[in-house]
Amino acid sequence: MSSPVLVAEGLTKRYGRREALSGCTLAIPPGRVVGLVGPNGAGKTTLLHLAVGLLKPTAGRIEVLGAAPASGPEQLARVGFVAQDTPTYAGLSIADHLRFGAHTNPRWDRRLAEDRIAKLGLDPSQKAGKLSGGQRAQLGLTLAIAKRPDLLILDEPVASLDPLARREFLQGLMAFIAEHEAGVILSSHLVSDLERVCDYLVVLVASRVRVTGEVEDLLASHYRLIGARHDLIELATGVEVIEESHTDRQSTLIVRSSSPIDDPSLAVEQLTLEDLVLAYMSKTATDRLPALETTR
Amino acid sequence: MTWFAWRQFRTQTWITIGFLAALGVVLVVTGRSVADAYEAANVAACQGDCATAIESFLTRLRDTAGSTVYDLATPVMYLFPALIGMFWGAPLLARELEAGTHRLAWNQSVTRTRWLATKLALIGGAAAVTVGVLSWAISTWASKIDQAVGDRITMIPERGIVPIGYALFAFALGVTLGMLIGRTVPAMGATLAVYGVVVVSMEEWIRARLVAADHASNPLDTGSLDQLLIDQSGTMTVTGSANLPDAWVLTNQTVTDAGQVFTGPADPQYCGPDAAMQTCDSWVGSLGLRQELTYHPASHFWPIQWVETGILLAAAALLVGVCFWWTRRRLT
Repeated sequence: MSSPVLVAEGLTKRYGRREALSGCTLAIPPGRVVGLVGPNGAGKTTLLHLAVGLLKPTAGRIEVLGAAPASGPEQLARVGFVAQDTPTYAGLSIADHLRFGAHTNPRWDRRLAEDRIAKLGLDPSQKAGKLSGGQRAQLGLTLAIAKRPDLLILDEPVASLDPLARREFLQGLMAFIAEHEAGVILSSHLVSDLERVCDYLVVLVASRVRVTGEVEDLLASHYRLIGARHDLIELATGVEVIEESHTDRQSTLIVRSSSPIDDPSLAVEQLTLEDLVLAYMSKTATDRLPALETTR
Repeated sequence: MTWFAWRQFRTQTWITIGFLAALGVVLVVTGRSVADAYEAANVAACQGDCATAIESFLTRLRDTAGSTVYDLATPVMYLFPALIGMFWGAPLLARELEAGTHRLAWNQSVTRTRWLATKLALIGGAAAVTVGVLSWAISTWASKIDQAVGDRITMIPERGIVPIGYALFAFALGVTLGMLIGRTVPAMGATLAVYGVVVVSMEEWIRARLVAADHASNPLDTGSLDQLLIDQSGTMTVTGSANLPDAWVLTNQTVTDAGQVFTGPADPQYCGPDAAMQTCDSWVGSLGLRQELTYHPASHFWPIQWVETGILLAAAALLVGVCFWWTRRRLT
């Protein structure tokens, strides 16, 4: 099974005149843990809602696991989704939620669900409205996992959690990934949340996809270059400048290059994933975007 | 899905069952005192002119609990569909949208259409059954009083099957407004307001026209006038007694033989300040006036019931259609 789990072509969502997502083109290979990163309001939620069929695109096309999102019960059964802030029915107990899952999902794994709740030390008779944010997130994850989806989509699952709950949640997620051969897409505005779990990255800035690829490849093809100011102007062939900053005497560039940079006049450094993402999100990077496209 | 729809609706179910049970007890207890009064007044045994027996029955009923229940039945029957619209209809989608739980519900392996269909069928069915039982209980309980008073034709929304139509309409209205507004409390308010407008419009302008009214044209009987007014300019208003027992009189006009509504002028010789009342009456009687009546006889009760219920059900079906279309296409 090598067909992509998610394909988007020119995917656009407009609210009135505001574009929440514009011209998004993606092909996410199967079996990856995909991190969708971007600042708040970049369109992450819009993209994920389009992927689960909670939204319909204004223009363009999206296919998930080879079918239109939410196109029928089979498609719904194959995709698990945990919405932002993990909504649950406040007046219903954990057991009620699990029974809801069991009644509405043909592939429901009851043992998995009950074991997970027990392992978390939660009382099944407790009302969801009385749970802490972290516990509610775990309940949401349990519901999505016990559905036994082929693709699990999580929208900012840890954004509102304290560091401990955050770690526990991500551990639970990793355990699921290790046990089941499902793809995962999760969004966050913090790279640090994703660093440990993701092997594929999509960076969304100002409603556009800025960069996408395997984390390994991205790390291997991006460099920080530091040198005297005039030296850097010579660069440029085959090297794409992502971000630049200058002082009077020295310039720092973050570049993407398919071949190693071999210039003795420059200090060449590897980037961390966080630096890389921040470079794409930074103001100069976004401002440069149109100019970059025209000169290429 | 049926299990979950019921689970979410459990509290309302128990409250409703509790209310109906309490009402049942009240109706059984007071029903006995109504039956006693009916018995004591000897209405069933009366031959020919039963007016005295009926009068005695209604007099005995006054100041009993039965009379209070009878008076309360009217607001209850008007209010119940409104409550169903507000508390069952409006939150159905609004509460999900408000809490974001639709994002949870719509990502289980059940399509939105089926999810909505299950909820609408279950709760709409409960609304129809509840109000059906309520209307049947009150109609049965009040049948002797309705007969005695002879005004069942004017109680269309309180008796028979029309309440079911109002309940389903109010429910669909609540669901639709909840969906469009997306917040429970404003949706409840809007539901009550729109339901009120519909009830008043039906009452004031629509119901009388649902079935063609009967028409009667008789010589004016000056022996039984409801009204004879003369203002200072001599303009007269004369209204004969309709004398149509059990009917719902829509218009009652006194016309000249040319077909014009009679407005005088009054002849001061017969109807002046010094003349006796009888002389004015007999002068009016000598003018050859006719009484034109339009009215719904008691036999129009069921035809009006069916048409009004049909209209309400059609409106409810339309709203439900909007709900399906909107949840599939627009709600995101």
